[in-house]
Amino acid sequence: MIRAGVPAALITTTVFRGLAESERQAKGTPDLPLLVIDHPLGGERAEAVRLRAEQARRALLEAVAGPSAPPA
Amino acid sequence: MSAEIPLTAEVIELEDRPEAVDAYFTERRWSDGLPIVPPTEARVRAMLAATRRGPQETLGELPPAWREATVEKLAINAVVAGALPEHFPVVLAAVEAMLDPEFNLYGVQATTHPVAPLVVVSGPYAARIGMNAGSGAFGPGCRANATIGRAVRLILLNVGGAWPGQGDMATQGSPAKYTYAIAENEAATPWEPLRVALGFGAEESTVTVFGGEGPHNVNDHVSTTAAGILTVCADTMRGLGSNVGWYLSQSQVLLVLGPEHAATVAGDGFGRADVQRFCFDQARRSLLESKLSGMYGIQDWPGWMNAIVDDEARLPLVPAPEDILVMVAGGPGKHSCVVPNCTFSRAVTRAIAA
Repeated sequence: MIRAGVPAALITTTVFRGLAESERQAKGTPDLPLLVIDHPLGGERAEAVRLRAEQARRALLEAVAGPSAPPA
Repeated sequence: MSAEIPLTAEVIELEDRPEAVDAYFTERRWSDGLPIVPPTEARVRAMLAATRRGPQETLGELPPAWREATVEKLAINAVVAGALPEHFPVVLAAVEAMLDPEFNLYGVQATTHPVAPLVVVSGPYAARIGMNAGSGAFGPGCRANATIGRAVRLILLNVGGAWPGQGDMATQGSPAKYTYAIAENEAATPWEPLRVALGFGAEESTVTVFGGEGPHNVNDHVSTTAAGILTVCADTMRGLGSNVGWYLSQSQVLLVLGPEHAATVAGDGFGRADVQRFCFDQARRSLLESKLSGMYGIQDWPGWMNAIVDDEARLPLVPAPEDILVMVAGGPGKHSCVVPNCTFSRAVTRAIAA
């Protein structure tokens, strides 16, 4: 998607980070933004899932606009 | 012929002691932890002589590392596993089958679920290479079963990169991840053999790869009817903790009937299609039971199933009766087994080119 000019990112949880990173390398997209959220995701209550979503949102903003992106 | 073809694998010189070779392989994570057979050039060339494919021909990229599955690399791993050259055509067919997108090898390799590709050989080639389809077919003691399954696993580890906790994220793993290969007991099959049921010729030999859990026992020492035995089989298929049924379109179950159970079932007038239909109808979870199961709320069901509100409604585990694959293996005794799949892989069959 990135090659086609469509913004894209890979979302992973902490324990799957290694797998996600090797996938980025193997597929020739080492610069694909990686959004890392806490593990686990399954079995979490709604509040924890909201926290994961917030983590992903912040990571996405950083990936798109850099670490100094203003809080949105 | 293959002796003239150059090989590309790096040549490593090691001390000529089994312990030194094992240590070298183990340190580099080129082993499953069991002692290995050193892949000398002579052994690899002997393995390659069992196929018409060239050493550099690739069967595709094996996930999750997406490395090329060249015939040479596959032959090296087959040697390491202790396989004999006549086993290699089965290994090649298994890899070819696993690379079919229907099989979803990336999912099978990387998932937290304890899934392993079960290699099922149907046809005359199984007997030719001495595969065990009888007593203890899933167990130890048969070099062909043991090393074909081990070769597949070493390929998945070394070429595919499915190292536990890295490329293979299985929470607990499975003993089926060491080796998992059986042959169909055709002599004890009261119906047409598996490969014919799957659309292949009776004269062919095939490999079916099935992304399954280890076998779940079906003990029935008392039933004297097809319905009795198959009711117990169906119950074994429908546990609350099973993955089967949650991604309905890719859910399948393999029913491996022991010969005595198969004879009782067939003696009651049941064909394979009747077995499939019976189990399709009986191996169900009610909506209420589904709500108690381990995937409710994150299932991938068709709209008509999601629309059901009657808690008593009994929901199918697989999309169609044919998604309960039925075969016979094993020896004397009143046991069969069910191999549930991982819910995101479909069985794929390929002819063995031997």
